[in-house]
Amino acid sequence: MTFVTRLKDVAARSPWLYRINAGSCNGCDVELATTALIPRYDVERLGCVYCGSPRHADIVLITGPLTRHVLAAAQRVFAEIPDPKVTVAVGVCPITGGIFRESYAICAPIDQYFPVDVNVPGCPPRPPAIIEGVAKAIAIWRQRL
Amino acid sequence: MNFLTLFVRNLRRGPYTEPFPFGPATPAPKRLRARIEFDAKTCEGCLLCEKLCPSGAIKFSRTPGGLAFDCFHSTCVFCGTCAFYCPSGAIRQTADWSLAHLEGETFSVAEHGLIQPIVCVECGGKGLDTAPAVTKVRPPLSDEELTALRARCPKCRNKFLRNRGKTP
Repeated sequence: MTFVTRLKDVAARSPWLYRINAGSCNGCDVELATTALIPRYDVERLGCVYCGSPRHADIVLITGPLTRHVLAAAQRVFAEIPDPKVTVAVGVCPITGGIFRESYAICAPIDQYFPVDVNVPGCPPRPPAIIEGVAKAIAIWRQRL
Repeated sequence: MNFLTLFVRNLRRGPYTEPFPFGPATPAPKRLRARIEFDAKTCEGCLLCEKLCPSGAIKFSRTPGGLAFDCFHSTCVFCGTCAFYCPSGAIRQTADWSLAHLEGETFSVAEHGLIQPIVCVECGGKGLDTAPAVTKVRPPLSDEELTALRARCPKCRNKFLRNRGKTP
């Protein structure tokens, strides 16, 4: 057991983040950019950095209510992310649909299609709330390694 | 805090990083619109917030234990319409943004309130222990009158207000 945990500690690298915009209004995306890019809320302190390719990602942040139009593409991109991955739903839209709830054009809540692990409600959530969610996701990710 | 104050502070202090999540979070701006808070004591039971809520986060339900209020934070879009139109200020919007939770806790991240049922002291009918809607009543009601009004059913409340000030 000790050997396995030590191996896990050695193997644990910094988790990389990948963003899927599933029909978001860009409010949450702006907050995600703020979380990473301005020094006041620096998500890179947690070792996280945004990556451009889903194949490099460990934690996936999904924003938006998952419009029907983007469903197939989002599922394809999600399937390309290697396991173990942790899914974070950012904003109220992916969690329940928020303001778009009961619309014919959206597939929210997204936990029907993706295995969501952490929810960060807010419209949009504040950058510290997103960092809190990412910190929870990292804790889950370390267990899954 | 207005723009100029922020500008001067940023000039003086320079860029900085908030310690959160490794330390305590710096207080959020006072006027930040975040988590809804409900006070069952001051609620008038008009259900205006439920009608106005654009995302359907607020639900009132009649239960055997009284009138139950639920606001699900994972649906609330922080628009503040409920707090703006609440006639008695029972719904407030706080600056508490810390709502991140694990999947499975979604329905427990909610604000609950319960308005107890009462038996009217005058007619013995059923009523709810809501705050009386008397903001426009002149002259304002005294504390004794408010307590007396609170213990009555809606019909007897109207009668009480009609007969108020009339000498028997």
